[in-house]
Amino acid sequence: MSQREGSLEEPKAESSNSLLPHLEAKIQQTHSLARLLTKYAEQLLQEYVQHQGEPFGLPGFSPPRLPVAGLSAPAPGHTGLPVPERLRLDAAALATLPVLLDGVRRHQAELNPRAPRLLRRLEEAARQARALGAAVETVLAALGHGSTTEAAAAATTPTAPGGFSAKVLGLHVCGLYGEWVSRTEGDLGQLVSGAPA
Amino acid sequence: MNIYLFWRQPSQMVDSKRMRTSNFQWLLSTFVLLYLMVQVNSYKNGTLNSLKCTTKNLVGWDCSWKGAFEEANGTSEVCIEDRPRSCYQLKKTNFKIPALLPGDHEITVRSSYGLESSISNFTLNEKNVSLIPDTPEILSFSADFPTSTLFLEWNDKGSNFPYHMTIIWEIKILRTERRELVKLETYNMTVNGQDTVHRWSWASDLPLECATHYVSIRCYFDSLYFSGHKEWSNWSQMKEIPYWSPLPYLKAYPQDKVVLAGSDITFCCVSQTKVQVAQIGSTFCPLIPLDGENVAIKVRNISVSENSGTNVIFTTEDDVCGTVIFAGFPPDIPQKLNCETHDLKEIICTWNPGRPTGLVGPRNTNYILFESFSSKYVTFKRAEPFTNESYQLFFHVLPNQEIYNFTLKAQNPLGKSESTKLVNITERVSPHTPTSLKVEDINSTAVTLSWHLLGNFVQINLLCQIEINKANSKQELNATIKGVDNADYLIDVHKLNPYTKYTFRIRCSSETFWKWSKWSNEKQHITQEAIPSKGPDIWRERSSDGRNLVIYWKPLPINEAHGKILSYNVSCSSHEETQFLSEVLDPQHKAELPLGKTDCIISVVAKNSAGPSPPSKIATIEIPNDDLQVEQVVGIGKKILLSWHRDPNMTCDYVIKWCNSSRSEHCLMDWKKVPSNSTETIIESDQFHSGVRYQFFLYGCRNQGYQLLRSVIGYIEELAPVVAPNFTVADTSADSILVKWEDIPVEELRGFLRGYLFYFQKGEKDTLKMRGLEPVGSSDVKIKNITDISQKTLRIADLQGKTSYHLVLQAYTDGGLGPRKSMFVVTKENSVGLIIAILIPVAVAVIVGVVTSILCYRKREWIKETFYPDIPNPENCKALQFQKSVCEGSNALKTLEMNPCTPNNVEVLETRAVPKIEDTEIISPVAEHPEEGSNTEPENHVVVSYCPPIIEEEIPNPVVDEAGGTNQVIYMDVQSMYQPQAKPEEEQDIDSVVGAGYKPQMRLPINSALEETAAEDDIDKTAGYRPQANVNTWNLVSPDSPRSTDSNSEVVSFGSPCSINSRQFLIPPKDEDSPKSNGGGWSFTNFFQNKPND
Repeated sequence: MSQREGSLEEPKAESSNSLLPHLEAKIQQTHSLARLLTKYAEQLLQEYVQHQGEPFGLPGFSPPRLPVAGLSAPAPGHTGLPVPERLRLDAAALATLPVLLDGVRRHQAELNPRAPRLLRRLEEAARQARALGAAVETVLAALGHGSTTEAAAAATTPTAPGGFSAKVLGLHVCGLYGEWVSRTEGDLGQLVSGAPA
Repeated sequence: MNIYLFWRQPSQMVDSKRMRTSNFQWLLSTFVLLYLMVQVNSYKNGTLNSLKCTTKNLVGWDCSWKGAFEEANGTSEVCIEDRPRSCYQLKKTNFKIPALLPGDHEITVRSSYGLESSISNFTLNEKNVSLIPDTPEILSFSADFPTSTLFLEWNDKGSNFPYHMTIIWEIKILRTERRELVKLETYNMTVNGQDTVHRWSWASDLPLECATHYVSIRCYFDSLYFSGHKEWSNWSQMKEIPYWSPLPYLKAYPQDKVVLAGSDITFCCVSQTKVQVAQIGSTFCPLIPLDGENVAIKVRNISVSENSGTNVIFTTEDDVCGTVIFAGFPPDIPQKLNCETHDLKEIICTWNPGRPTGLVGPRNTNYILFESFSSKYVTFKRAEPFTNESYQLFFHVLPNQEIYNFTLKAQNPLGKSESTKLVNITERVSPHTPTSLKVEDINSTAVTLSWHLLGNFVQINLLCQIEINKANSKQELNATIKGVDNADYLIDVHKLNPYTKYTFRIRCSSETFWKWSKWSNEKQHITQEAIPSKGPDIWRERSSDGRNLVIYWKPLPINEAHGKILSYNVSCSSHEETQFLSEVLDPQHKAELPLGKTDCIISVVAKNSAGPSPPSKIATIEIPNDDLQVEQVVGIGKKILLSWHRDPNMTCDYVIKWCNSSRSEHCLMDWKKVPSNSTETIIESDQFHSGVRYQFFLYGCRNQGYQLLRSVIGYIEELAPVVAPNFTVADTSADSILVKWEDIPVEELRGFLRGYLFYFQKGEKDTLKMRGLEPVGSSDVKIKNITDISQKTLRIADLQGKTSYHLVLQAYTDGGLGPRKSMFVVTKENSVGLIIAILIPVAVAVIVGVVTSILCYRKREWIKETFYPDIPNPENCKALQFQKSVCEGSNALKTLEMNPCTPNNVEVLETRAVPKIEDTEIISPVAEHPEEGSNTEPENHVVVSYCPPIIEEEIPNPVVDEAGGTNQVIYMDVQSMYQPQAKPEEEQDIDSVVGAGYKPQMRLPINSALEETAAEDDIDKTAGYRPQANVNTWNLVSPDSPRSTDSNSEVVSFGSPCSINSRQFLIPPKDEDSPKSNGGGWSFTNFFQNKPND
C-alpha cells in the first residue's frame, strides 16, 4: 500500500471491525458506479459532439477552453494529494457538475430540441453525477472526513454570450464531467485495491 | 454675363459631344484668344463683367461680379432698373437682392474708384441664377449593433423655403478607415414650409462591431417653379460609428443570427491578433481585411442549417472564436387548414405547415389561431419531438355561435404568414366513435340497438348508418336521430330473419353530412326462433323388397327452419282417417313405413321450439308407365340439363330423382322438385363426378300420384375407359381369325361406349415387343373401327397361313380412347396347298416316267440301234476321224483329228491312278487310252450317261486315305469338261456306284452331323427341290393342333416337317420360352412366298 493510501489506515483502525465489510462494499459499489459513469461520460461526449455540427468532432478542431464558473479541471497536482483530499475534491466537483449539466441540457433543449437522446443523456448525467457525489460523500463520511456541500453551493448555471460559446461551454462541461468521473473512479480504485479482500 | 454664358457653352459642348481632338484644340485656341482680347478691351475701357447670382432658398439671390473695380477700393451703386428704390450702395463686389420675378431685369452698376468711374449694364434673369442648397447637417447618427442597423437623423429646414417642393437627399455610407463606399441611397421628400426631422436607417451586411461606418448627406432642390440652374449641396460633415474597441479576446459577429436560407451573409471577427483562417462548418473561406486586425468572410447562398445551427469559426494563432448562424425559411402559408368538431364542444383545426422552415426550438414557427367574430385566440404550443400530427389547435365552441372565422397566423424570426377558414361548425361534425353498442330482442324479426355517443348534439340531427351482417349478405340501414347531450341512442331494426345470427355495427354523422365516424365495435346477436315457414321437401321410394315405403325429406334450410329443428312428425291420411305414424328426431331424415293395402297421403311436419311447420304431403301411389325409354345425356360444365315436353296432365309438379347407376344399393341420391309449368331444369350437385354414370328419373305429378315419365342415363363429363375390352380368339384358320370380346363394366367404361378400334398386323411377339404397335402412320397396321357397339365378334380374313399376327383392341367413348389389349395369334397352315405342292411334282414325275418308259419301249430298237449298237461304228465317232490330208491315199495311215466328241456314253474300260491334273492342263483321254490294241484291262467301269449342271459338294470325310482327303462327287458336263477323275481305288468303288445312271440328290452314307452343315451351305448353292435329308431333326408336331396364345404368353405354331430349303424355323429361337419351332412348320406356300425378312 502506498504512502497516500496509508493515510487511510488511521480511520480504518479507529473504526470497528464490523464496519469494514460495509465500507468495503460501499467503496466497491461507488467504484463500480464511477466506472460505469466513466463509460457513460464517454458516450455522452460523443453524443454531444455529434449534435453540435461541424467542425465539432472533426480532427484538428480544438475549441477554446472557456472558464466554467465554480469548476475547473482536475489539477495536475491532484494525484499528489492524499486520497481523502482527492475524494473531497472529487465530491466537490461532482456536486457542482449537476448544475452545469442542467445548464447544458437547457441550452441544448433550445439548440437541439429534436435530439431526445442527447437531452436524456444530459439529464441522466446530472442525476448520476449527483448520485456519485453523494456516494463519495458517504465514503468520505465513513472514513471520518467532512462534507463538501459548500463547494456545490457556489456553482451556478453556466452562461455563454452566444450559441457557439454555449456549445463550447457544453463541450467543456461534458469533458469536465468525464474527467472528474474518471478521476473519481481512479481515486476510488486506489481504495479498492488497497482494501483487504 | 454673356461671357460667362459664353464660357459655359463650350464646356457643355465638351462635356456632351466629345469633339475630336483636332477640332477641340482649334476651338480652344480660338476661345482663349478671343477671351484675352475681350479682357484687355474691358480693362482698357474700365467696364465690369462676370456677374453671377446664386440662391440657396429661392428667397434671395446672392450676386457678385468681377472687374477692375474689384481690385480697387471704390464704391459701386447697383440699380435694378425696373424696380423703384432698388439701388444699393456697395463697397464690395457682391450684393444680395430679393429674388426677382422671372424675366430679364436690367442691372446697372456704377462703379467709382478714384477719379474714374464706369457704368456697366447687365441683364439679369432667373435662368441665370444657380440654386445651391445649404450644406445639410446631420442631427444624429447611431447604430443598433445586434441588428447591424445604422440610424440617421437630419433636419430638412423646410421653413426656409417659400413653397412646397421636392428635396432629394443623397446618403452615403462609408466603411472602414479606408472610407470605402458601401451604400449610396437617394431619398426623396417634400418640404412643406416647416422644419422636419428625417430618419433613415440601413441594415449593414457587415456587423457594425467589426468596422467603422461613416455617413454623409447632401441635398438637391427639385423646384418646379425655379427655372435657373439647380445644383447639389455640399456633403455634410461626416459622422461615424466606430467599430468596437479591440476586446481582450476574440469575438465573432453576428451572434446567433437567423437568416434567410439562400441569402448572402458576412461574418466578421474582432481581434487583436492576426486571424489566420475562417471557416463555416468545415469549409474554409477567404478573409476580407477590415479595420485593425479585424477580418470578415462573406458566405453566399447559405444553405439551411442543421438543428443546432451552422458554426462559423475564426482561428488565430492561439485562439478560436466562433458564432452560430441559423439559416432557414419564413413560415409557409398554412395549407389545408380544416376545422371540425367531434362533439360540438371543441373545434379542432388542423393544417399542414407546408415547406419546412429549417428552424427549431425558439426559432421555430409560432402559430396563433384567431377567431375574428369573438376575437378569441389560442396559441400553438409545440411538444418536441416534432411530429406532423401535432399541427392542430383546439378552440372551444362558443355558445350561440355556429359560424367561426378563423385566421391561423404563423410567425418565425424570418417572417410571418397566415391562412383563414370560415366554417359553420354544425356542418363540420365528425362524431366520435359510437360505443357500448347493445342489441335487445323485440321479437323473432326485430331487435333494438342502443349505443352511446359522446358530444352535445342537441342542436343538430344525427345520421346513423347501421350495418347488418349475416352469412353471405350485408345490409346497411340509415336512420336520422335527434341529437342529445352525452346520452344513449336507440333504434329499432325490423324485418330480420328468425333464428339468424346477425352482426351489427354502427357509425354516425351529422344530418348535413360531413364525415362518418369510425365504425363501432361489432355486436353479434341471434334472433329469436319462429315456426318453420314451410314443410320439408319430401320424396318416397319403395323399399327393395317392395313391402315398405321409405319416406325421405330434406333438412330445411336455415332461412326456412327459423330455428333448430327438433323432430319430424310423419303421418298418413286417407279418405277415412289420418294416422300418426312416427316422430323422427333430427337429424334423421327418413322414415320407413309398411305399405298398407290402401294408398294414403304421407304428411311430414318439421317442428322447432316455436312450433310445427306446414305439412309437406306426397301420395304413396305411383302411376305406372309402360312406354318408357332410356335416353342418354351428357352434362355441360358439371351440370345436367334435362328438358321435357310440357304435359298438361301434370298438375302438381315434376320431380327429378337421380342416383348413381353403378351402385348396387338403393337408387336414390337426391331429388329435385320443379314447378309444373317448367319444361327443363338444370341439375347440379357436389356429388356428381366425371366419368360416373348417373340415372335420372323424371316423375310427373298427376292427381297426387307420381308417374315416371322419363329415364335418362348420363354423365357429367365423359372420360375414356379405364380398361380394355377382354377379347379372345374364338377361331383361327389359315387365312382368318375370329375374335370375340366382352362388354366393359359400366364403372370402368366411364362414358357412353361409342365403338371399338381393332388393329392387327403381322408380327411376332419378340419383334413387336420392342417397338409396339403403331396404328397411326404405320402402313402395316390395319385398323377396323367398329361403331356397332352391339357387335361382339370380328372375323379378320385374307390372312396368310402360318403367320403370326399382332391383334389389338381398344374401346372408346366421347371422353377418349381406352387402354389397349393386344394378343399374338398365328394362323394355321394351309394343308391343301401343301398337299398340292407335293402331289403335283409327284404326278408330273410319274407321268414323265410313264411316257418315257412307253416311248423307250416302243422305240427300243431305235434306241438300241442308235445308242447301244452291238458294234459301234467308228465312222460315227468324230473323235476318231483322221485328217484326210495326212492319211489320204493310205487307209492304214490316218491321223486322229481332235474334234470335240459328243458321246452319249463313255465306257471306261480301264482306269489307273494318276496324279491330280491341274485345271489348266488338258490331256486327251484318247492319247492316253488307245481305243484298240490296248492290253490294259480296266480296273473300273464308269459310265457317264447324264450331265447335270455343275454341282459340287464337298463332304468332309475323316476316314478317307491320305491321297484324297475328301470324297468328291462331281456332276459335270462331259462335253465341256475333260477333267479326269483321278481318284484312289477305294474312292473309285464308291464312284462306280454313284456314277451309274440317275443320281438322286441323296448321299449315302452320310454323317448326320455333317449333313446339317452341308445343308446350310446347300441353301445358297441349290435352287431345286431337296429332300429332307436330316429327318432326325424334325420336330413332328401335329399341324392339326394349333396353339393360340396371347402376346404375353407364347407363340402359337403348328408342327410340320421342314425342308432344308425352308427358312422356317431352321434357326432355333434363342428364347427358350418360345415354342420349339426349329424343326417345326414347313409350308409349301412359304416356298413361293416373298418374306420381308429375307
